[in-house]
This record gives sequence, structure tokens and C-alpha cells, in this order.
Amino acid sequence: MNDVAFTSDIANILVVDDTLANLQLLVGILTKHGYKVRPAKDGVQALSATQIIPVDLILLDINMPEMDGYEVCTKLKSDPKTRHIPVIFISALNDVLDKVKAFGVGGVDYVTKPFQVEEVLARVETHLALQRLQNNLQLKNTELAQTNQELANTLNRLQATQEELIQSEKMAALGQLIAGIAHEVNTPLGAIRSSVSNISKYLEEIFEDLPRFVDTLSAKEIQLILKIALCSINNKQLFSAKDSRKIKRAVTRELEEMGVPDADTIADTLSDMKISEDIESFLPILTHPDSTRMLEFAYNLSGLQRGTNTIETAVERASKVVFALKSYAHSDQKNELFKTNLIVGIDTILTLYQNSIKHGVEVVQNYAEIPLIYCYPDELNQVWTNLIHNAIQAMDNKGMLTIDVTQERGFAKISITDSGKGIPEEIKDRIFEPFFTTKPPGEGSGLGLDIVRKIVKKHLGEIEVTSVPGKTTFTVYLSMNLQPDSSS
Amino acid sequence: MSKPVILCVDDEAVILESLKAQLRKALGSSYVYEVAQDAEEALDIIDELNEDDVSILLIVSDWLMPGMKGDEFMIRVHQKFPNIVKILLTGQADQKAIDRAYAAANLHKCLFKPWSEKELIETVKSGLEKL
Repeated sequence: MNDVAFTSDIANILVVDDTLANLQLLVGILTKHGYKVRPAKDGVQALSATQIIPVDLILLDINMPEMDGYEVCTKLKSDPKTRHIPVIFISALNDVLDKVKAFGVGGVDYVTKPFQVEEVLARVETHLALQRLQNNLQLKNTELAQTNQELANTLNRLQATQEELIQSEKMAALGQLIAGIAHEVNTPLGAIRSSVSNISKYLEEIFEDLPRFVDTLSAKEIQLILKIALCSINNKQLFSAKDSRKIKRAVTRELEEMGVPDADTIADTLSDMKISEDIESFLPILTHPDSTRMLEFAYNLSGLQRGTNTIETAVERASKVVFALKSYAHSDQKNELFKTNLIVGIDTILTLYQNSIKHGVEVVQNYAEIPLIYCYPDELNQVWTNLIHNAIQAMDNKGMLTIDVTQERGFAKISITDSGKGIPEEIKDRIFEPFFTTKPPGEGSGLGLDIVRKIVKKHLGEIEVTSVPGKTTFTVYLSMNLQPDSSS
Repeated sequence: MSKPVILCVDDEAVILESLKAQLRKALGSSYVYEVAQDAEEALDIIDELNEDDVSILLIVSDWLMPGMKGDEFMIRVHQKFPNIVKILLTGQADQKAIDRAYAAANLHKCLFKPWSEKELIETVKSGLEKL
């Protein structure tokens, strides 16, 4: 520890007196007691001495010609370099000692002449000690100020790091979403692209066959071809692959019984056209020598509609994903409260996770009617994203995800329950800790639930967890009483 | 003698419908086109056709499906029917799974959604030529 502001261990004392005898006496006494003493015979000499040598204490006579002690002291106190040096005034008993003035100009004490040696030494030692303490204190203060500054810098750095971590956690969640969303968008795009190429094929063949059919077929035959096409277009039933195979087999048998050649190919074409009934009425076409081209013509005509339907379905699916993405990136960057429907927010996240969910997760939505509440929708999206993502992961993408929304004592209560293996008892208390993660390195920062809890707190709410194997529930309570002006 | 089969597997009906139409137009009626909505269903169809002595030449399968994923499905098929040409058609690439399918199922090619008609048909034709 550095506890000295003195230049050396021995205190330096400056004695100022115009009376040579007094000066010698004081210098003698103090030197004898181990101090390093400098004499000065007047104010000018004293002031210049303090500028060039280190001085820890000054004994200052008041009554001096030209510049008296008060003036010397005043000058010392007005100079930043010397103002810290304690000044003890020395005054002869017959002098008029103005104690008030002595203290007023900055003196710390006074001694009257003739003095007792012990008194002088005691006062000198006292003020040196005080001075030493004060110096120490100042040193400590400087150190503290420095430490304080360092702490403030560290805090700033930590805050910046935290921001970065929150940002990277957001990006990680987004990255997981994007992989799934790529699939969700590419699938309808694939259907659209292939439908477009199919439609142009159909049109090409229609224009190829039409003139020939008009020339060679009877009006009745053409009407029947159109009827087959219309029958296909009007059938809006959807069959699973399994059901279509069953129907196709039945139609094949039926055609074979009616003596239609190439029954299985025709049955396949009919099943693609979703035609399974009233087949007998199409016999004149199906048994015609040019039956393949005639049926293909009906297939192409109705195919325009099938292609269009596929495109429509695909576009709807892709828009739904894009819409969900848009809602997810809801811009409340200004950190303002918005009156929001919580359920719409939760469903948006479910839409974005559709890809993970549909492959083995059953979603149960128990939503009670709750009013719109003021909240930070963007941040709540992060809460739902985290909790739903964790739930799906906890179940290894297979099981039941239950979302309950109710209200309770002025709070919106949202429970997200998964049927996964549960949270081990020994880590249950730690899951909300920042940087605590059970995921392999690189997969999670361990900040997800910490951020979730912070966001919930911002909504004057609470988050709780209960977990047993097969049933883990995160329950979020959000205050329904937040108001735009009450937020700070 | 029954016509040989080309099998399409995808959990999305819209994909199956347009994919089948595309193949049908390009390759004509010399093949029968079967579709299945997941790997288990596809394996059932393969077994059924095999029992009826119908040969399956080629499979175009999605990767991300409920239940068994495309790479595992391909590997299962390959163990029993190494000669079937296998093509993955996926909307989301999991490179490890694709590598696995190439290595363990002798994958012919992996195509990505949205695919173009040209690359699909060229890939299917080059696969059939290998036979």
C-alpha cells in the first residue's frame, strides 16, 4: 500500500520568522526531534521556498515587516501548488493575535510565544498526522475514482457484449426458422414451377389436336370429350395417394369387365382426372380407336384447371409463410407499446414452425377469449419463438404441444406444454440463468430463457416452469394493465 | 407383362400431382407412375409391386417427410433393391443426409425445389439409361 504523499519519510517543515533568535530556536527544537527543517526569514523567502522544495508543514510568524503572516498564508492558499500545506501561526503574546483572522486566511492552528516545546511538538505532530491522513484520503479518492472509471468502462463493454449476445441469440433463432421456412417456401414454388410447365404442355397439345378432332370427330364425340373434361374439373374431391390407388384398381376392373383395352393406363389417367363414377357413359370415347389421344385431350383440357388449382393452393401456402414472417418482423423498434392480440402473435410463430410441427407434433390450441392488451409484440414473438422452439426440441419433434391462453387476476396467462422427457430436477433451477444451456456448443447461447424472462418482466409479468417426464409447462403471465404512458 | 413403375414420394399432394403429370408427359405411357405420401407407404407399395412381379425402375423422393426421412428411405430401398435408380427432390438441403444417401444408397442425384422441368427430365432419363 502506498500511504505517503510525502517526498520522504521524514517530514519537511518550513519555519518562517523575522526574529533570528526565534528562528534558530524553532529550527533547533524541530531538527532535534527528527524533522527536516528549512528556515525562512521573511514572507518572500518562504513563498519561494515552497515553490522549489517539498514542504509538509509551515510554522509562520504573523508579525513580520513588509509581508505579514496573514498575507503569506493568503498567498499560499491561493496557489494550487501550495494550498494543501498546513500552516500553524506563531504569535508573540504581546502581539494582537487575531485568531479569527488566522483561521480565516487558512491557518490550521496557532502557537503563542513564548511557547512550550512540548506544545509546539504536539501541534506539529498532530497536523502532520492530519496532513498525512488527508493525503492518504486524497490518494484513496483518486484510486477510487480510477477504479470507478474502470468499472464504468467494464459495464459499458458488458452492456455492448450483452447487446451483441441478444442480437446473436435473435439471429440464431432466426437461422433455425429460416431453414424450415426455406422448405416451406420451396415446396409451393416447386409445385408452381412444375404446374406452369405442365400447363404450357397441355396447351401445346390442345392446339395440336384440336384441328384434327374438329375435322375427324363427330359433334357427339367432341361433346363427350368435353363432358369428360368438365366432369374432371367439377370434381373437387381430394383423395389420398392410398385412396386413389384403391379407386384406380376398382376402375381398372370395371374397364376390363367392359372390355376396354389398355384398362390400367386409362384407369390411371382417369384417376389423375379424379374421375371414378359414371365411367360407362364415356365408353364411346374409351373404346374408340383413337381413345388414347381423345382421353388425353380431355386430360389436357381439365389439366389447365388442375394446374391452376395447384398454383392457387401453392401461392396461398407461400403467402401464409411470408405473411407470418412479416408479422414476426413487426417493427416496434421504437420500443413502444402496441395494442395487440396475443393469440395472433402465438399463431404466427406456430405458422413459422409449421415445418417442424407437421412432421409428428400434434398441436392443441385452447384459447379463451381475451381482450387486446398493450405489449411489445416484437419481443413477445421472441418469447413464443423460444418457448415453442424449446418445446418442439424437447420432444424430438414428436409428441403433443399444448398452448393454453386464459386470463387470471388482470394477467394474460399463456401456458406452453410439451410431452417431452422433462427437465431434470437438478437443472430446473438453473434454466433461466444466462449462459446456461443443455444444447451442444454452437447450438444455443444459453441466453434464450434469460431473454424470455427479461421480456416477461418488462411486461410486469412472471414466468414459471413445472416439469415431470411427459409434461413440461412454461407459464407466462403478462400484465393486462400496461398503458403507453405508464411504461418507462 | 406389366409396365415398369416410376414411384414418386412426397408428403405434399400438390407436389405429387404436378410431378406425376410432368413425368407422364415427358416419358409417356410406357411406364406406370405410382405416388406415395410417406416413406412407409412407399415401402408398402414397393413390396406389393415386388410380390406382383412388377419392376420398379426409379424413385423420386422428397427428403423432409413425416416419419422416415428421404435418406433413410433410400438406404432401406437400396439394401433390398440396389438396382432401383434413386433421386432426391428436396426443398431443404441437409448436406449430411444427402452425402449419406450418395454413399449408402448410391443416390443418382439430388435435385432442389423448385426444380426445372429440364433438369428433372434429364436426370430421370439419365437414371433410366444407367439400367
